[in-house]
Amino acid sequence: MSQAILTGTSRGLGRALALKLLECGWTVHGLARENSDINHPRFHSHAIDITHEPSVQSTIAKIGQSSQGIDLLINNAGSASMNALLLTPGSVAESLMRTNYLGAFYCLQAVGKSMVRQRKGLIINITTVAVPLALAGEAAYVASKAALDALTKVAATELLPHGIKVVGLGLGPIDTRLTRAVSQNKLAEINQRIKRPQGTTLDEATAFISEKINDPQLASGQIYYLGQVT
Amino acid sequence: MITRKQSLDLVLQRLGSLALELGKPALLNVDESTHLFGDAAHLDSIGLVTLIADLEQDIFNQFGKRVTLADEKAMSRLTSPFRRVGLLADYIVEVVNAK
Repeated sequence: MSQAILTGTSRGLGRALALKLLECGWTVHGLARENSDINHPRFHSHAIDITHEPSVQSTIAKIGQSSQGIDLLINNAGSASMNALLLTPGSVAESLMRTNYLGAFYCLQAVGKSMVRQRKGLIINITTVAVPLALAGEAAYVASKAALDALTKVAATELLPHGIKVVGLGLGPIDTRLTRAVSQNKLAEINQRIKRPQGTTLDEATAFISEKINDPQLASGQIYYLGQVT
Repeated sequence: MITRKQSLDLVLQRLGSLALELGKPALLNVDESTHLFGDAAHLDSIGLVTLIADLEQDIFNQFGKRVTLADEKAMSRLTSPFRRVGLLADYIVEVVNAK
């Protein structure tokens, strides 16, 4: 049976994605600050702070030990903050970098070691169209996700010889808590720019991610976008 | 508790299995003085990463301790513990017994 580790499962895309993976037969280990309300025999909730490296290491080592190995990691946990660059407090920039980049880095490193032992695995980093669009008002968020994209590319190069693929999946705005602070006009403008005027539903986002998980032609190091970004 | 002999055996056994997997028969004839990484090394970076990841798991399986061999302490040393087989065996004893 295939084992997945997914971060940020207490709500939003992470929760929907966990349900989708369960539906597809995966055993899912959900990592989040708060325990998830998902009740399923193949779902295991782990309440941890992914920005705390020792917690990530010990939790993932325990999961690897208790299961047949880890086949899939999805770094989904993320936070956002919309503000003009010159009005963004440094503490916000630091906090976003910790969650969106460092948290993913710790998880990737810990799961990567387990996958190296298995000589196979797939790592997906959830990113955003806001990076290639260089969206105004999202400097700290975009910079943290750009760091994650760079990590995706280097990790792909280093881990491919071990049989491990690493890709980024970039999404547009979805109606979750992450985008609640963004005005309707701004959301409409972004959706127009990525040629998805109707926006993206949670179902569409999870279907896109699921399709990529099952794609044998997935090119390691690539960032795939749901929507047009050029 | 791990003894120096147990530690050395662990490294030699793991190198033996990597020799077959990585197609490097030279790894079957190694001793304490064999260079692992650096100049005149037997392993490239991919081989070293594989060796370390496998050894961490071996240590947990056989001694019940979760250790990180490639940490800041190891990286900041003047003489890398990954340079030679004997140094790696010494380092494993130090890290495992400090836990």
